Amino acid sequence: MSKDNILCKRCGTPIVLPKNIKDILSKAEISQTIKWDELLHLCPRCRAQTFAERTIGGDLQKVVRNWPLPKRRSEERKSIRFDKRMGATVYKSQCYICNSGCDALVYEKEGKVIKVEGDPSSPITKGSLCCKGLASKEQLYHRDRLLYPMKRIGKRGEGHWQRISWDEALDTAAERFKEIEKRYGPDSIVLATGTKRGTWCDYFMRFANAWGKQFTSTGWAQCAIPRQLAGLMVLGGYAAECPDFSNANCILIWGTNPANNWPHHALSMMERWAEGIPLIVVDSELRETSSKADIWLQPRPGTDAALGLGFLNVIIHEDLYDKEFVEKRCLGFDELKARVQEFNLDEVEKITWVPKDKIREAARLYATRKPACLMHSCAIEQNADTISSCLATVMLTAVTGNLDIPGGNLFPMFKDIRGRGDLEYTLRQLITEEREKNIRGSTEYPLLSSNACMLYPSAHNATLWKTILTGDPYPIKGMYIHACNLLVNVANSRQVEEALRSLDFILAVDIMMNPTVELADILLPATTWIERDEVASHHQASYNAIQIGQTVVRLGECRTNYAIINELAKRLDIKHMFPPESDEPFFNFLLEKIGLTWKELKERGGYYFPNVYKKYERNGFNTPSKKVELANSKMKNLGMDSLPRYLEPDESPISTPELAKEYPLIITTGGRVSIFRHSEGRNIPILRDLMPHPLMSIHPLTAEELGIKEGDDVVVETPRAWMEAKAYLTEGIHPKVVQLPSHWINEYNVNMVMDNERCAPYIGSAQLRCQLCRVKRKK
Amino acid sequence: MNLVEKKLLVVLDCCIGCHACEIACRQEHELTYETDSKWCQVMTIKPRRIRDELHLDYFPTMCVHCDDPLCIQCCPVDAIVKRKDGIVLVDDEKCNGCRVCVYACSHGAMSFNEESQVAGKCNFCLERLEYGIEPSCVQHCIGGALRYVTKEDLEEITKGKHTAFFGKVCYASSKWKLAV
Repeated sequence: MSKDNILCKRCGTPIVLPKNIKDILSKAEISQTIKWDELLHLCPRCRAQTFAERTIGGDLQKVVRNWPLPKRRSEERKSIRFDKRMGATVYKSQCYICNSGCDALVYEKEGKVIKVEGDPSSPITKGSLCCKGLASKEQLYHRDRLLYPMKRIGKRGEGHWQRISWDEALDTAAERFKEIEKRYGPDSIVLATGTKRGTWCDYFMRFANAWGKQFTSTGWAQCAIPRQLAGLMVLGGYAAECPDFSNANCILIWGTNPANNWPHHALSMMERWAEGIPLIVVDSELRETSSKADIWLQPRPGTDAALGLGFLNVIIHEDLYDKEFVEKRCLGFDELKARVQEFNLDEVEKITWVPKDKIREAARLYATRKPACLMHSCAIEQNADTISSCLATVMLTAVTGNLDIPGGNLFPMFKDIRGRGDLEYTLRQLITEEREKNIRGSTEYPLLSSNACMLYPSAHNATLWKTILTGDPYPIKGMYIHACNLLVNVANSRQVEEALRSLDFILAVDIMMNPTVELADILLPATTWIERDEVASHHQASYNAIQIGQTVVRLGECRTNYAIINELAKRLDIKHMFPPESDEPFFNFLLEKIGLTWKELKERGGYYFPNVYKKYERNGFNTPSKKVELANSKMKNLGMDSLPRYLEPDESPISTPELAKEYPLIITTGGRVSIFRHSEGRNIPILRDLMPHPLMSIHPLTAEELGIKEGDDVVVETPRAWMEAKAYLTEGIHPKVVQLPSHWINEYNVNMVMDNERCAPYIGSAQLRCQLCRVKRKK
Repeated sequence: MNLVEKKLLVVLDCCIGCHACEIACRQEHELTYETDSKWCQVMTIKPRRIRDELHLDYFPTMCVHCDDPLCIQCCPVDAIVKRKDGIVLVDDEKCNGCRVCVYACSHGAMSFNEESQVAGKCNFCLERLEYGIEPSCVQHCIGGALRYVTKEDLEEITKGKHTAFFGKVCYASSKWKLAV
């Protein structure tokens, strides 16, 4: 190697040149395709980037986007049991690295997992799997895995642990819980869980109900409950969650980035998109999915409800709605019509910053290019009135007549498998009026925390922390945290930490160490998805499949979620739970009504319910009136405004102009990346390598004003606290908005700076998409 | 048709920047973090304003198996060969770890494995091809950007589209007039 090191012209890293560089260059000179000067001035990584930029160029010459691409390899749905190439046993399973639940194959050889791949026989994923799923092996064998029960031996959070037996761990936990209950009453213990994986949350709810305790989650008020509840109230089901991309003639994506976190949805969406089907995306930043949009609407964060009402205004006033469907199948159209009158496009443009012509164009396209499907997700669930934004998007599927038709939005087919709608399973009837009263948040946020919530009546985060800290209206002293990183994933992390630290006893179950479980007294190791059996049917994975997970290996002494909970139930004398020795009786219970057993299901490799469209023709919709309730009776009966409306975020240039002088930028957060799932995955080096630091998206003009350059460390301040990130300059964000990635820890944790005090009415969502901040370069 | 004779088609329109191909590649070829070696990388072309429209693009890169590879010309120990079917292969056994090929590749596709101390790069998952299945990046590509296709299919698919051919890889776009 030569001593004459030079620096890469792009990134500045030193390049050590080989001795015979001249020789290489002379050879390169004769080759016309190689830009040989690059060899000297760029490091290998920057060459790839330069190659990409040079090839794609800037010569925009659009031709028709209609790719006659061959269909993907999709084998007959049969289980491959052995792979000759690798000499490995193949297990058909379902990836739960996130809650998309993609079909996956796990390859095992001599007791070790050697590979995790997509399942080419799956009609859902067609063999694909996302980067997180493909890195599952790294999670399974990660050195930070919890493999044995442990008890805390130092002070809380100090990080000193001692390995103990399962019996000791469970006995201690049961004993401590009993003590607390005896001393402080039945409500002094709360439960917490995280993202739904498989049928997990339903089972957790069963346990909470059987035990008579309230439970909370990392953030259902901010994700899942508002949009699914809106669907249940208006449509009587989850159709808005199940877009049928494959048959759609127009696709509307609202407040979600499926390219990043719904891989199987992205797959069908892209297949159809590649055939030239128009795509409309509502996203405040130009990102993976919005970059593909034919019409990209960039609203001011937090104004989705107004935009939705703008859509409805165009569709109703231009007579683009499906008259027959609305007349025959919908109630409350006149009320809705009167409401959308207030949202003429001039008004909507003023609120949302989206040019009215673009809104009109998008609304017309969605309403007239039938069949059209819609996908929405959590960006619309984190603003000032989340139920409104969700009502608006949900009813778009109905007024355009795109419900339960091929290419529209489909109602799931899971009638006979036990799920969250089955009382025998969830035991919701055990939440008596008296118990309901004591669920924190049930009065202020009945759609989240009372029996009015048709999914999981669960405690409202912020209200719960306050109760823990003040003992008002009753003391809370114990907590059972199962797979839930509260300290990172919930707004106002300082308050969460203070609350958790004040507890007498914490039992935590997880697969890995994280800031939350570090505060526990007893720690129990759970299995990763590769180490457990699973039966799952949920509309986020597929609208008509029962998928299976299979135990391939088992590390250390970890146990399945169900087994852990059942062991605990046994020791706490909780009735209605299943024997801890095996998960099979529980799986059989789930499958009972279909007439299948776990063994049969495993043999078949899954189960598909036959496809039926327009299911409403037989029995109507699953609402009290059996019709689509555009002005829904549920909210009416609760004395609420049952139509979508628009509330300005509590903190914004409009509602708090004085504060906005000091904090001139809108901070929006929660945008997902493909490489991490919520707070998971950052400790997997091959994933972390793709994004070593949290990147704040900021417009180059704003950055210039603030003296911030690409990659600079920045400090983000809100009226509450500060955090750090690195600057990522992108024209894809509005100059008055910065986007902060969520789920990082310590000083990079955006939840340190986010307010949880002012929450959306009825349902209690924190306004994570739309608060105020200021940004400066870190000195 | 024999799988090895197919070409890799990269439909740039369809790349969603999800990095599934990168991790699929690292898993397939056991390119652990410690190897510091990547055979497949997705580049991001940040949002650019062109004709009053913002464009954000993603661009998967890997060895294109050049027609006349400089890496072969430069390798002092003849460890790199181009097969009849066009696949360029590095012979682990012969490689002396001199890294000259890494510097000779203008695409940044040759990668040095810090653990095994030899050069390596995309081989189209030759072992999979011989077994009758497509490369791992192609199987796992979520957007459907990576396609392993016959010459005839490639022509059919890219008819009327912009293309750029490099060795055994063809980049295609319905948006950008690609440069070779």
